Amino acid sequence: MIIVIPTKDVGEKSFVSDQLGRTKFFYVYDTEAASGRVFNNISKNENHGAGVKTVEFLLNRDADILITPRVGKKALDLLLETNVKIYQSNAKIAKENIKDFLNEDLEELY
Amino acid sequence: MQIAVLSGKGGAGKTLLAVNLTNLIEGATFLDCDVEEPNGVLYFGNSFEKDNVYTKIPIIDNKRCINCHSCIDFCRYNAIIDFLGKVKVLPSLCHSCGGCKLVCEENAIHEEDELLGWINYSRIKSHKVYGGELKIGKETGVSIIAKLLDKIEVNEDSVIDCPPGNGCSVMESIQNADYCLLVSEPTIFGLENLKMVYDLTKVYKKKAGLVINKAVNNNDLIEKYALKNNLPVLGYIPFDRELALLNSKSEMVSNFKYKPYFMNILNQIREEVGR
Repeated sequence: MIIVIPTKDVGEKSFVSDQLGRTKFFYVYDTEAASGRVFNNISKNENHGAGVKTVEFLLNRDADILITPRVGKKALDLLLETNVKIYQSNAKIAKENIKDFLNEDLEELY
Repeated sequence: MQIAVLSGKGGAGKTLLAVNLTNLIEGATFLDCDVEEPNGVLYFGNSFEKDNVYTKIPIIDNKRCINCHSCIDFCRYNAIIDFLGKVKVLPSLCHSCGGCKLVCEENAIHEEDELLGWINYSRIKSHKVYGGELKIGKETGVSIIAKLLDKIEVNEDSVIDCPPGNGCSVMESIQNADYCLLVSEPTIFGLENLKMVYDLTKVYKKKAGLVINKAVNNNDLIEKYALKNNLPVLGYIPFDRELALLNSKSEMVSNFKYKPYFMNILNQIREEVGR
């Protein structure tokens, strides 16, 4: 299972970003390999459509789960057509959010 | 003479100035380019003819599309994306530039009309009145504004009620204006927004003047800025309960005792434009 989290800084110890489409980084965690990778968000400075580019990124990374504080309408409309499930992030770091998700302590938004 | 009335923020008094100046210019055409909140026409009545305004949206022929992504790479608005292995158009982000169709070597893209909004039209006394109206959910009304501007005939006097701010739709609205009338409230917020629009009129090299609306005894802030930046203050509209009440009932306040305020502003614009 692939989990994606928008993060403020690099790595699993970073806090979750306040934004999805315009986050600086994505932390992509593979539960089977028990390892994570960091990606720069190349779309963060787009004038239009940063959210939909994020959806493209999620699909390219074969994401199953998105943990985020919020999701904009355009990105959400697209994600609802996919198998990606969206969970509400909490105020902890990325690693703890993943732990809480696996313990079923995060709320499923969509 | 074409006068564009603009301000950095909503609620500053653009529509108040625009409709009352129109009222005082015999034969002037009124254009409400504030297509997201088109309330200017309400001052002129409630019976309008309505014309549809369409925009072009690309449609992908999936049988012809080879997923080469030329259109995706071309689109500066990210209105075309790779979605679940197919090329997908997101109409809400599309600016109808037509570029995707041009770059598609497989001829897999054609364009179809999509309803963007309306133009409401009426003739009231000596005035032609046009109001643009953006369909709810649409993001940009620039093409409605372009169509509104086409309605103005050569040598015809016109007054344009611009959208708030200094974005694309304001730039579209002022492009042919002979004079930009800036409206501001005497507040810090009003001043900051005024700076933005005044800068915009300078980029477009437009003649500009300022009206301070809701003026009480706190105009110094804005007057100082205007003096320092060579922005002439053409007049003041008082902060007046009776005026506000009349205006809220969609009355033209220039039909009442407030006429001299607007006449004074209009005369100064005429002098500045030289017509």
